[in-house]
Amino acid sequence: MKCLLIASESAEVLFHWTDPEFQQNIQRQYGESQEEGQGLPAFEDSMSTLFAPIIISCSTMVDRLSDNYTSFTTENNHIYVLHQFDECLYIAVNGDGEEGEDILRRKIYVMKKMVEVMFGMVTLSSQLLRRELRPQDTEQRGRLWKHLQSLLETYSHLRENDQSFLVEAVERLIHPTLCEQCIEFLERRLVQQLNSSAERAGEEVLHAFILVHTKLLAFYSSRNASTLATSDLLAIIIMAQNMYPSNEDLDDPSPEDVESTSGSGHESFYTPEPSPTDRDSSSSDKAERESLPMFEFMDPDVQMAEDSLQALEVPPPDPSTPRRVFLEISGKDGLYPMMPHSMYCLPLWPGITLVLLTKIPTNAVAMSVYKFLEAFAKLEKCLHEGPEGSAATRGQLAINDIRSKLDKFIKALGPSELQSAQLLNVWTEFKNRAYARGGPGFNKDLIPWCKNMKTQLCGIYRQCFLIDPGPGDIPQRLSQGLQERAQTMAQEKLMDWRDFLLVKSKRNITMVSYLEDFPGLIHFICVDRSTGQMIAPSLSITERTTSELGKGPVARFIKNKVWNLVSTTRRFLRKGYSTVTLRDGDFYFCYFLWFENETGYKLEAGDTPILPDDSAPIGMLAWDYYSRKLLRYYSKNHQGEVVRCYELLTVHLGVIPTEIILQHCRQLASKLWEPSRNPLL
Amino acid sequence: MTEEHSPLSLGFPSVMAELIRRCTYFFLYDGSKVKGEGDPTREGICYFYPEETPVDKQELLCGQLAGVGRCVSELSSSPVRFLRLRRSKYAIRMKDDFFWALGCSVEVPTTSVCELLDQLINLFCFYNGSVRQSYQLNSQETLAARWGQYLSHLQPGSSEFHRIFSCLRTIDSTNVDPLLLLKAALILQACQRCPLVLAGCILFRGRVVSTQMTPKLTMKVMVHESETYSKRRNGSGASGRSGAAVSSTTVFLTLSELQYLQSAPVDKDLSSHSTPRRDAPQKKTRLSRTLSEMASSESDSSDLGPSQSPQKVSFSPCLSESDYSVSSPAPSQSADPLNLPSLSPEPPFSNEQHSLETPDQSYYQSFYSSEGGDSQVHSKGDGSVFEENSLLNGCGKEFDLRGAESGLEESHDNEEVVGDRGVDGCGSAQGQKAEVQDPPPSSGASDDPEESPLIPMMLYLHRVKGLVLALLVDPPFLSDTASMEEVYHSSLASLNGLEAHLRTISPGALGAPGPYIFTHFDCIQSTLTTNLSGRPGGAPEHPFVRATSLLHSHFCNTKTLQEAIIRSAGAAVYGTRSVAQETYFQQHGGSLRNSGIPNHQDSAFSLPSKARHRLLKHGVNLL
Repeated sequence: MKCLLIASESAEVLFHWTDPEFQQNIQRQYGESQEEGQGLPAFEDSMSTLFAPIIISCSTMVDRLSDNYTSFTTENNHIYVLHQFDECLYIAVNGDGEEGEDILRRKIYVMKKMVEVMFGMVTLSSQLLRRELRPQDTEQRGRLWKHLQSLLETYSHLRENDQSFLVEAVERLIHPTLCEQCIEFLERRLVQQLNSSAERAGEEVLHAFILVHTKLLAFYSSRNASTLATSDLLAIIIMAQNMYPSNEDLDDPSPEDVESTSGSGHESFYTPEPSPTDRDSSSSDKAERESLPMFEFMDPDVQMAEDSLQALEVPPPDPSTPRRVFLEISGKDGLYPMMPHSMYCLPLWPGITLVLLTKIPTNAVAMSVYKFLEAFAKLEKCLHEGPEGSAATRGQLAINDIRSKLDKFIKALGPSELQSAQLLNVWTEFKNRAYARGGPGFNKDLIPWCKNMKTQLCGIYRQCFLIDPGPGDIPQRLSQGLQERAQTMAQEKLMDWRDFLLVKSKRNITMVSYLEDFPGLIHFICVDRSTGQMIAPSLSITERTTSELGKGPVARFIKNKVWNLVSTTRRFLRKGYSTVTLRDGDFYFCYFLWFENETGYKLEAGDTPILPDDSAPIGMLAWDYYSRKLLRYYSKNHQGEVVRCYELLTVHLGVIPTEIILQHCRQLASKLWEPSRNPLL
Repeated sequence: MTEEHSPLSLGFPSVMAELIRRCTYFFLYDGSKVKGEGDPTREGICYFYPEETPVDKQELLCGQLAGVGRCVSELSSSPVRFLRLRRSKYAIRMKDDFFWALGCSVEVPTTSVCELLDQLINLFCFYNGSVRQSYQLNSQETLAARWGQYLSHLQPGSSEFHRIFSCLRTIDSTNVDPLLLLKAALILQACQRCPLVLAGCILFRGRVVSTQMTPKLTMKVMVHESETYSKRRNGSGASGRSGAAVSSTTVFLTLSELQYLQSAPVDKDLSSHSTPRRDAPQKKTRLSRTLSEMASSESDSSDLGPSQSPQKVSFSPCLSESDYSVSSPAPSQSADPLNLPSLSPEPPFSNEQHSLETPDQSYYQSFYSSEGGDSQVHSKGDGSVFEENSLLNGCGKEFDLRGAESGLEESHDNEEVVGDRGVDGCGSAQGQKAEVQDPPPSSGASDDPEESPLIPMMLYLHRVKGLVLALLVDPPFLSDTASMEEVYHSSLASLNGLEAHLRTISPGALGAPGPYIFTHFDCIQSTLTTNLSGRPGGAPEHPFVRATSLLHSHFCNTKTLQEAIIRSAGAAVYGTRSVAQETYFQQHGGSLRNSGIPNHQDSAFSLPSKARHRLLKHGVNLL
């Protein structure tokens, strides 16, 4: 019983995703209210009819009370979370108890992030975004929605099963030698060759990295690239996973396997798993598995998610066509959000992917548009604040600054195209009103024109970066040959490591290595929030092999405990508590958050901000709480100093004396991130 | 108990008090009145608080919340329980076509808001019976006044913890001779020897001395007590009966409440025996013993149990219809002064002396001045003077036994309303009786008064200055003059004695603020012990209060959680809970300077042992 809906203020459905249970529920409900004999209307129409009263009530509340709903809970524990971004209302529903309010709110924010990565600054104009999310053409709409739906499902699957998406930080494969070799390979050979090739069509590779499932093997950024934000990197990993899903469940044992191996000790910890060979065999595996009766430790929900993924699978796009992604750039003169990049996702083998992010030649247009948008947004805000005084003057200055630049910009665009002609018209009208002698000048009447200018600028941006060039145009991308060469080079480099990497990604580090030094320790997660990286022993419960946590129910029980612990500690962190210990059943949980300076000196704990319940979720994927909120807040007293932020979560057996547990935590905290920043193993 | 002692502290569940200060809106909306397209929303608004809210805004809130609530509950096939806005939160109850919403500010824990709304509705049902029937029988204005009164009970003044924990205010037991508590318990037991008495409680100045009822039921009873008190203080409509010592009112129990009362351990052994209910001679001898006798000879009291229980057992809610129709003082009967043969025997005591008193000479004033010598005299004399609290009681009627003279002093408005609904009230009471005959099998477990049938009972109150004996009795009790007199006389002397003793006890002085703060909530008895309230530090923004509130919510949501330590930059707080209690502890001073990195020498982690050690002297055992 899950659903996510995006609606416009006029209750038009801009996007929806439902699981089969929710869909059945809606159809049943709608069936009840329909007259006998009438067929069921289109599912989308039922959704829109049933949700319309909620959506309309939301706008009424905003208009008349300037307050809005954030959640509903029913007596049978259905949860509805609502959030309005500009004119788009997001509603996430859960009716099966699997997702709480915070998870639903996180889902909404992640959905918004994915929309931003896909549509960039077009999201700044509700009017354009509405058209973008709900294309007139039904077939096109169907394709887009399927893509978004499958992104959402991929994200949900990762959040439920992957520790790095649980804590929202990137997990690296721990193998310093190989890692170093690969970085060198990317830098000296791959990127250099690509960027010096004539076939790159003006694009420039900024970042190149190799993913093994969701884990990062090596990451290289070219010298003139700005840092890739963790938020963007995580979003790209979701997109890559969505394109080439790693079918972890294929490694599940079949019931026969379980029977034959359950008594034999099963010492196959380090044997490489067979890589799935191709799509055909994987789908036949799946069919075979589905025909078998469910057995106890196969999570029915995981299976369900997989199945719906299968059903929604979009035909694979031409692999050489890059995806347009909009990522944040930190330039010399500040942050530029949602700058256009091309993303090339080159599969090396199933589970191993090379990702290239390139700067496109028309990048400068996006930066200009952003500057102009910023100026008009500033003016609009100032005009809202008041007609007189410094506010309006400041707004006016912002426009004066860009006036000539915008003139030149429009001239450069060339008036031949419809979009730029419109922009020119609006800009001329704006100038007439704002600057003409005897004209109205800078007052509230100018606000609609600010809005209009913003819409026009977003339109230009859309035209430049979102619309596919016509079939006659030469596709603007790294040539197919060049892509193939990159792929082959990487394959050659990693050929001997392939099987090792696939196993390693499942057992990056294991608890076995810690048992001797930390008796009673069951699990831990350590996160460096400054770099957005985490390490944790593998906690996979769908593997063929027995893990240290045992098999099936026990492992899943502990996994659930870890997942709950993370959401609990976030709740406390939101209210300003940075240390938490909990004795829960047979376990003892600890959570610590602390700050260090660059040399590793532990800084004194300071106040952490107290946030309202409906604020953005704590994490790094949808919104970087740690750098945007926590570090900024903390750094107020540490100006000019580099402050690093760390988190440690541990799970111990409850019988271990607290003193020992705390000693363990201390040791883990100091050992895991040595000055080299490579975890000791 | 080292709680704050406010001289005007009222005996109602004080959790509400703090909450209501933060309560932004409360309303009851009847969707059945607004069915058609053209029906104005205001038709459906049964009650809206604050009443001075412009009708536009009332309509907006009722219309939007009820509309969106209905839409969501249709989508989920389940009523909405909770609704959150950016700046406020609402507990919701949807039942039939009724829609209740109670809005609070966002920092109040969700569970507490929901609990408060349930308490409000249950309180209404306790004194008025089912909501739908009440609205059929009474004018909207009358019931609006009642909602308003229940809400107005919830005045500010108690400590911040009362908004987190729903707790009873009890007398400071550490400050009271345990023998007095024993004596109070014995008074209640003695009253129970009358088979028509179900259970009771003794209250002193708005605090519980002893109770035989569940905390929730005790809270409901206490509201009536404080209502009467405030009415007296205001002098409204009470001029003629300021000295009345005994009063009663109809109340409605849920089946589960009744079953709980009747499943007192003493009954169980003998529940198979069925002896005749009115074993008059035996009862007479027992009841005529005064409590002081009992207290003086323990051997006597110990043999009381077996002999009294058979009488009690036989009186069950499955009493035959004829039993009720013969002896029930159904509200309709009491409504008509001409039709009161069973209720208006000759007043056994004259009330002349009482009616000569000045109206201002109220009980509470006399006991607060601690010079109640004369009122003690008159309460002895006016033992059988009854009064009915018509403001609290929907179906009840003044049945002042003092005669027409005092009746004339009553508000005529009240009289009319009461008279009008009296006839209908009878019908409803009988309707409910029919339900009692055949209760749905599952309803016993439900505590929701709207789910299970409500059984009319009487609440009998006997005041001795600041002391109140409140008994839940079967309705025939009030027509059974003999039983009533027995209960009255058997407890009077003991109550006087108890009152005199309790009065002399000075409120325990607040201990000097220690180097720590704690709060301890006994979940079984719903009592709270803390050394924080009454100090300026009790504000909601106090770190300890904030941490307690957060941890309490977390304990509520995680059943397996036993203890927790949480630390912000300002404070480290330790919380621990078991099935019976929740305790929160914070140590002052010490070095709060820390880096937040795990360190076993960190003082935060020594909180559990410190709490165990320090709280022993407060009677809190965490071992």
